Parts: sequence; structure tokens; C-alpha cells
Amino acid sequence: MSEMWINMGPQHPMTHGLWNLRVKIDGEMILDVDPEMGYLHRGIEKISEDRHYNEVITLMDRCCYVAGFAWEHLYILSAEEALHLRPPERAEYLRVLCDEFQRIGSHLMWYAAFVQDLGLMSPFLYGMRDRDLVLDLFQSYTGARMTYEYMRVGGVRNDLPPGFSDQARKVLDWLDARFPEYDQLCLGSTIFRERCDNLGLLKASDCVAHGVTGPMLRSAGMKRDLRKDRPYAAYDRLDFEVAVADGADVTARYLVRMEEMRQSVRILRQVLDWLDHHPGPVLADRLPRWLGAPYAPIGNEGYLLKRNYPKGVGFSAVEEPHGEAQAYVVNDGGEHPYRVKFRSPVFANISAARQYLVGYHVADIPPIMGSVDVCVGEVDR
Amino acid sequence: MASATLYSVSYDLSSALLHGLGSILPPAAASVVTNSDLIVGLAVLIFAVILLAASMINTIVLIWWERKLLGRFMDRRGAMHVGYAGLLQNFADGLKLFRKNTFQPEEADALGFYGGPLAYMVTSLIIFGILPISSGWNSGALPLTLLLALAVFSFAPLFIFISAWSSNNKYSLMGGMRSAAQMIAYEVPILLAVVAVVIVSGSFNLTTIVYEQQNYWFWGPLVVALIVFVAGMLAEMERIPFDLPEAEAELVEGWNTEYGGMLFAFFMLADYLRALVGSILVVLLFLGGWTMPSWVPSAATSFPLAGIVWFMVKTYIVFGLFVWVRASLPRVRTDQLLRVGWNRMIPLSLLSIFLAAVLVTVKCLPVFGCVPSMGV
Repeated sequence: MSEMWINMGPQHPMTHGLWNLRVKIDGEMILDVDPEMGYLHRGIEKISEDRHYNEVITLMDRCCYVAGFAWEHLYILSAEEALHLRPPERAEYLRVLCDEFQRIGSHLMWYAAFVQDLGLMSPFLYGMRDRDLVLDLFQSYTGARMTYEYMRVGGVRNDLPPGFSDQARKVLDWLDARFPEYDQLCLGSTIFRERCDNLGLLKASDCVAHGVTGPMLRSAGMKRDLRKDRPYAAYDRLDFEVAVADGADVTARYLVRMEEMRQSVRILRQVLDWLDHHPGPVLADRLPRWLGAPYAPIGNEGYLLKRNYPKGVGFSAVEEPHGEAQAYVVNDGGEHPYRVKFRSPVFANISAARQYLVGYHVADIPPIMGSVDVCVGEVDR
Repeated sequence: MASATLYSVSYDLSSALLHGLGSILPPAAASVVTNSDLIVGLAVLIFAVILLAASMINTIVLIWWERKLLGRFMDRRGAMHVGYAGLLQNFADGLKLFRKNTFQPEEADALGFYGGPLAYMVTSLIIFGILPISSGWNSGALPLTLLLALAVFSFAPLFIFISAWSSNNKYSLMGGMRSAAQMIAYEVPILLAVVAVVIVSGSFNLTTIVYEQQNYWFWGPLVVALIVFVAGMLAEMERIPFDLPEAEAELVEGWNTEYGGMLFAFFMLADYLRALVGSILVVLLFLGGWTMPSWVPSAATSFPLAGIVWFMVKTYIVFGLFVWVRASLPRVRTDQLLRVGWNRMIPLSLLSIFLAAVLVTVKCLPVFGCVPSMGV
């Protein structure tokens, strides 16, 4: 067969979203790849400029549909910095709770999609089944399973319902018992190791050169995790390890994500203990009026009060499940942010596709791209 | 049992029908209707219709069986809503596909595009006319049924490749290439593994092969051949872990990407027909066909149609194993598949031939007993 370009996407089972991977192949070999993004661009950054600070949170959930909390948290942190606000400590712990459950949920979703790409059918449903437990927890305190709109500038919307921590502990115990099963189905399978070992190699130096972050970077042996290196929320008060592997291949990324889920369970146990013993407010009590109470619609009086609010800029960086997300919010004293800018980790991770795809087989594309954990919502925003 | 074969039943039916028709027609017409050639022709037709219906219904039940098993492996229930425990779900699905519009991609080659699925389906169905299902199924008129069945079975890559190529789609073409490479690579070890069975049983006739397993089923002494045969069959059926010609992750749906509606249903049915054939061949060659070991109480083997019942039970269990494999293994890659096929399976199948030769030479084995008739 002579060389030809094929479009894997925008409608293709491998993409797990709406993007296009153009692949130049010779028979089964990949000669060149050209990732094309932009099919899901919704102009979230621009829309944010016409919205009140708390209304932007709605958009953040739509940035990444499997890691909504991470993006809410990212925006909230920079918005609070821009608005010179501090959340109560309980809200910080609640945000960590959201983040870490979200990490587990996102990684389970990744697990399901990744094994499905390899043709493993049963673990796909095991992953989805266990993710549902996490979504049930989200539903119990936010009312939503995917688009939560739970965090607020200056805190979070509401406290946990009674009985939540018992329920959450049950889920954590269940998950702890499932992880060995997951490993057995993947690492225990010779075919899995044959498929994934030494596949999609991306060395740490290449990761740094291309801005690749998150589990991909840690799988190359680089111990970088914003939760440790640039702690936000309550992470500096929690005890956990950074998951690192040194294979730099698909198996290593699998190992890193599995270990991260275990570490998330560890963090969550500490967070639940802390929350059980430290009741308190979850929203800062000295919020500017125009930010509104958690449920109150923002009325016209906001326009009168906003004028003399101090200007500011906020920058935040969050270790979301896919990598390092960053946000920059400019507050010019108005009721809307003047400018909002995000950095999506997956955008950088996909952009380096040529580095880790060329030279492998067509059949290797799904596992490699699966190990990148693509979430197109945040790539295009 | 041996007195009433499926053909004799259809002959009696045809004869009764035509003679009945002749008795109410005027004598001139009656002599035409009761012509012996016509009776034989109608008998063959009835035979074929019964076979067709039986194999189709079995295929659809096989799909149900796979869906239920997969559901259980995946911690869910599988089809539940149409019929008892979802038994009629696949009939509903089939009807839905039947009602759908079939369309042809632009610049697709019409002959190949429509002829491919048809030929694939027909060749898959032909095998059912060859396979004996119980002692009274066919009288063993053909001496080389095993060879014939495998020969017809191996038509498939040609038709798959033709329909893939004429679809005028890059994914289809890649799937077709993979399919052809895979099926040809695994045809060889399958045939070599079958040679081991032939050496021990001394016959190419499937009925004879089954009766040669009176003392012990061949899976014990010929376990190497069984492994090679089952692995090869998995590849021939294009099931996980060898389903890479239709690997949905990278090739969308592989060689049948462009097919929809009834043409897709043809491919789907033919795939499961082939899966059924594969399971049946495993049962016939290695698991004693419709016979049961002598320690089974005779009450369990002497009721009417006992042979067919046991045969189907074995077939569904074998297919259940294929489903189990599908539920728990990932897909291999093309180069790995071909490497395993040429570098591992062929030496293994040669080893199995050697073991079969040893078995025939020593005649008796400590655990299993003796070879009934001493091979060729």
C-alpha cells in the first residue's frame, strides 16, 4: 500500500471527543501525524468577559465534562486572588474533597476509555460502574452528576449533607478493593504488556520541551505535581505521595494514574476526618454585595456598589487530572472579569503527538492517545 | 436413530406431500407430480430449508447467549426486555436492520459491494449442509466432509477483501488487508492441527471422527492440537483478542465500515454463523460430537434427540469459552498476531502432529486407553 493520509476524526471512536488526528500511514506504519483541534471551540474565555464572576463557574463545568470540579477550582482560585478574597478553611477542605473525588472519577473514566481502546470489554464497564459511585456522591451534595456549579468565589455553595462522610468512606473502601482487580485485568495480561510496554515513549526532556504535564510527565520519571510544588487549597496540610513511574511509556502512564487514584483515596480519608471534626462556615462572610449570596440573583444594586472595588489580577495553577491547568483573571473593578485566560494541559499534551506517535503502528494510536487522556472540552474551551 | 436421517425425513415428507397432491389431481397431472425426480428435488429443498432455519435460529440464539454471558462477565444483565430474558431481542434487532435503507457509497464497486456480503453469507451457510449434528443427521455420504468444511470455511477472506476493497474507504481497505493476512496466516496451523486428528482417527469423515472417539475424546491426548485449533478458530472468527480486522478503536468498524442495514446484518449473521461452525468443529473434532462417555447414565443419552441435545450443549459451552476469552482479553496488534501465527502456532501444530503420530504408534495411553482403530 502506498502512503496515504487518513483522518482519524472528528467523528472517530479513537478521539473520545471532537478533534481530528490526521495520520500519514504506509501500510500499518505511522509516518507523520497532524493533530487538528478547534471543533469544539465555544469561546468560553470570551463569554466569561460578559458574565458576573460567579456566573463564569457555569462555564467552567463545561470546560471538561469529566473534571468539572478541577476547572471550577482553577477559576475560583484566580478569581479570588483577583478580587482579594479568602475562603474559609472548611471551604478549602471541601474543594480538596471535590478535586480528589473528581480525580478518581476522571481517572476511572480514563481507565474505561483506555481499556476499551485496547479491546478490553469488561474492565470498561467496571470503570464506568465505579465512577458512578463517585457521581452519586457528587449528586448527594451538589445536586448534579457532571455540571456541578458548586464552588463559589469566596467559598463553596453549601455544606455536605448529613451522613455524607459515611457514604463516602464506603465508596473509598469499595474502590480500594477494586484497584487490585483493575491491575490484574491489565498488568496481569500478557497481551496488555505486549501492547503497552515501550509504546508511545516520551522522555522527560521532550515532555518539558513540549509543555507536556500531568501523568505523562510523571510517567517519564519527573516528580512534578502542583499539589506539592505549588500547594493550593488545603494540600499543604495533607499527607500524600506524588505518583511517579520511569518507563515513559503507556504502561508507565497507567501505573501513574492507578497510583494517583490510590493516593486520592488516601487524601480523601484525611479530608473526611478533618471535615468531621471542624464544622464551620463554607462561604466567606464579607463578600462584596454584587457577588451575591450563593442563591440570590444579582440585582441592579450591584452596579451601584461595584465602582470602588479595588482592581487586581489573579493567577492560579491547579493539578487537574490531565495535567497542569492555569488560569489568569484580570479584575478591572467592574462586575465582570476584564479578561480570563486558561491554559489547558491536554492541548499541550495532544500537540506533542508527533513526538510519541510517529514510528508506531496504526493499531497503537488508540492505546497511545488513550494514555494521553484526551478531554477535548478543555482543549478548545 | 440411524434409520431416520434428516434426509430420509425430508424425503418421506416430500413423498407424502406430492402423493397427497397427486391423489386430488387428475391422473395425467398426478403422474407428473409423483415423478420420482420431483420427489427427490422437493426432498432436497425441504432438507435445505430445515437446515437453513435451524442454523439461522441457532445463530440468533448464539448472539443472545453471547450477550447474556458478556453481560454477566461485565456485572450487568445483558438484553432483558424483548421476550423472556431478552430472548427475542436479536429477532427485533434483525427486523430493525431489515427495515433499514441500504445505501452504497459513491464510487463503490456495486458488484463487489453487494456480492461480497452475499457470497460471505452463502459460503458460511453451505458449511451447515456438511457438518453432521447427530448420528441421524446425514448418512455420511461424503467421505471428505472435514476437508470440504474447512475448504468452504476458508473462502471468507476472499469475500471480505472484495467487499472491503469495493467499499472505496480507507478504513475498509485496511480492515480487509488485515483480515486477509490474518485468515491466511491462521489457516495453516488450523489445517495442521486437524491433521493430528486425522492421523489418530484415520478418516476425513466427520462422522467417522466422532465415532473414533468412543474410548476417549481427542481433547485429552491431542491437547496441543486443541489449543492450536481453538486459537486459530478465534482468529478465523475475528473475535477478541484477534478481532483486529474490525478493531473499532482505530478502524471504526474495519472492513464493514460502509455497510448498513441488511448488508450489515448479513455480515453480522455470517460472523456468528462462522462462530457457530467453529464451535461445532471443536465439538466434532475434540469433544466427541453427539456421543457421551460410557460412564454417563444411559437415561441421559437415550431419550429422543439426545444426540442433538448433547451436541448443542457442548457447542454452546465451547462458544461460552470463546465469549469468556472475549470478555477478559485485550486485542493484539497485527504484527504480533502474524508473528504468533507463523512463529508459534505452526511449530506447535507440527508438534501436535508428532504427538499424534506417537499416539498412533504406541496405540495405548496409560490414562486414556487405546486408539479404537489403528489409524490409517
